[in-house]
Amino acid sequence: MYDLILPSWPPVFDPSVRVGIALLFAALAGEIVARLIRLPRITGYSIAGLVLGPAVLGWFGAADVKSYRLLIDLALALLLFEMGVRVDLKWFRANPVLLATSLLEAGLTFACTYVVMRLTGASTGVSAGVAVIAMSTSPAIVMRMALETRAEGQVTQRMFVLTALNVVYAVVAWQLMVGGMHGVFRGDWFIAVLHPAYMLIGSLVGGVALALAFTLLRRAFNFNDEQGVAVLFGLLLSATALLIALKLPALLAPLIAGMVIKNTDPRPHLWPRHFGTAGGVVVILLFVFTGLTITPREFALGGTVAILLIFVRSAAKTVGVLALGHWSGLSVRQAVALGIALSPMSGVALLLASDVRTIYPEFGERLAAIVLCMAAILELASPIAVQWVLRFCRETREK
Amino acid sequence: MPLEAFAHSRALTLGVELELQLVNTHDYDLVGSAEDLLRILAKRKLPGDAKPEITASMIEISTNICEDYSDACAQLIGLRDELVDAAGRLNLGICGGGTHAFQHWGEQQIFDRPRFHFLSELYGYLAKQFTIFGQHVHVGCPAPDEALYMLHCMSRYIPHFIAISASSPYVQGLDTGFDSARLNSVFAFPLSGRAPFVETWNDFGVFFDKMTATGVVKGMKDFYWDIRPKPEFGTIEVRVMDTPLTVLQAARLAAYIQAVARFLIIEHPFNPSEDDYLVYAFNRFQACRFGFAGTYVDPVTHEHRSIGEDILSTLSRVEQHAIELRADKACQELYEDVREARNGAALLRHEFHDAGSLHEVVRRQCLRWKN
Repeated sequence: MYDLILPSWPPVFDPSVRVGIALLFAALAGEIVARLIRLPRITGYSIAGLVLGPAVLGWFGAADVKSYRLLIDLALALLLFEMGVRVDLKWFRANPVLLATSLLEAGLTFACTYVVMRLTGASTGVSAGVAVIAMSTSPAIVMRMALETRAEGQVTQRMFVLTALNVVYAVVAWQLMVGGMHGVFRGDWFIAVLHPAYMLIGSLVGGVALALAFTLLRRAFNFNDEQGVAVLFGLLLSATALLIALKLPALLAPLIAGMVIKNTDPRPHLWPRHFGTAGGVVVILLFVFTGLTITPREFALGGTVAILLIFVRSAAKTVGVLALGHWSGLSVRQAVALGIALSPMSGVALLLASDVRTIYPEFGERLAAIVLCMAAILELASPIAVQWVLRFCRETREK
Repeated sequence: MPLEAFAHSRALTLGVELELQLVNTHDYDLVGSAEDLLRILAKRKLPGDAKPEITASMIEISTNICEDYSDACAQLIGLRDELVDAAGRLNLGICGGGTHAFQHWGEQQIFDRPRFHFLSELYGYLAKQFTIFGQHVHVGCPAPDEALYMLHCMSRYIPHFIAISASSPYVQGLDTGFDSARLNSVFAFPLSGRAPFVETWNDFGVFFDKMTATGVVKGMKDFYWDIRPKPEFGTIEVRVMDTPLTVLQAARLAAYIQAVARFLIIEHPFNPSEDDYLVYAFNRFQACRFGFAGTYVDPVTHEHRSIGEDILSTLSRVEQHAIELRADKACQELYEDVREARNGAALLRHEFHDAGSLHEVVRRQCLRWKN
């Protein structure tokens, strides 16, 4: 009888207590970092993740990341959907140089990363894999920094658009590469074609369906109020769960949905950023979990190359943007700032790396060592860089 | 610095200046991209000029000297098309209207120029509150004394120009109940209001010297009067209008002002006196608050009628002058607008009623501006 009403000793906790602790630590670290040294809060969240994770305290491990995978996917889905709504395709028609800038910047990043990887002795496959992931820019850091500094202007807008395109390039190239690996590693070229085709067409269909659902719901709800935003949050959560159940990448469809909405319905699409408080919490957890993934072993394996690659990658992006900056209507100062603003890397890179690990563990291991190190370092450093360049261009409206 | 000499200009030529709003195309709030836009425009040949204004989300365009309505139209359309194209390259929206519907003045940035920083230091928050958008029309005057005659006579039509151009009902996200709330921001400035009643350029020089001797002003630029002489151009400048929602409406207003100016210069219909100004502030308030429905008190007969009625009778009165100036079509269109009580404020309120969102109202303002 007593065991029914009295707690056991030591008490047995529901697993969610770990999320609670992580969130508590992250929020504290974020506030400390923001108030004492005036750095971006997300740097604090990532520090909390690193400290709690296997790299320092070891309270959390890779297994936790797997069990909270849905939260990571959801956070990225929310961010990418919001980002998609900021991509106006008319802009590319009015300013084709902008599209050229994007292609050049991403292409240069791929090429430079690939060459450096090869020079450090990596295989063709691993080099190409890292190079594909290096093209991506973290939507989480970019969106979050723009929110924290309330930035608006040319650099901010282009940062959103180029980030969205970089995610598209990286995810699409990645699917094609994974398909190629099915061919190389398993000799199954039917799967090699089918798998990427399923992923990409599935994402496209999923994105359009999500956009359609959004449009129908918009008739009945005002997404700018509390009730409306709950509907929107629910829609994206179900969409994410459905995509995962269908083994589709959870990244591409929400981004496509956002873009379809912006370009088919020109009215302003406004809702509380990250879909209100709940969304904000999920996004904070995203940063913590990204910090959790890195282990000391990976630092030992990939640390040096990662640091080298971070410099090469940032340089490639900056040179790419700077080369066409003048013709796309930017000042030199803005072009350099935009190039640097594209350097963040985190959640997207992480998901891509961890996906390949489950299918091809050995290949994934070598690739992940480098990618995770890059992401870990950039999670701490790039928010500071983004904050700085947005201020440098006078686009922030901080209180 | 003494008052400069009144330059020669051809009588009744026009110059139109429009201050415009720069907005982003996401939530349609103001965005401080004037420098980016001006960088692109600097490479192009414009029928006129584009300049920065005090806050970074404003831009001012001005025509070269225009002969008549169709010339003003052509120049304004040319400027607008270049501007819309350049803004498209930056994914910016551009629109007319006297105020931005929901911007917060505290978030505006002062454009990086010494004069603007000086004004911001001097006026404090008023400078940022001055993120409002007006139309100025220059009218060429044959001689400086004629300019002052025209200025004082023209002041009785100020309520007309306000009511026709009024397009600033919304301020900081709320309907103010005014048709032109923009002018309330102008009245906060110490040197706003009307010019002193002096009838000769010599007397005006005396006034100007006294004012500069007090150290309060340094040049004509420091006076924020509703109508002020611009000796540098040899014009008087009517400054009370909100920027209309389209360039065509701006050109029509210029044509109406030109027709009235010709009527004044040729017929010399009034003997201006200081007493004309007894009703000035009242009439102007009525126009800002109620638009065409406001009460107009005739400065001479003290008769009361609506501003709309007074505009219609004035349009009939100056019709012959409008025909001479090839402005009759423009005046006819204005006549229709006034009779139907159509102005920018009514239109914006209608859009808000329809859309339910001020963000969407601003987006439609941008669409309207494009054509």
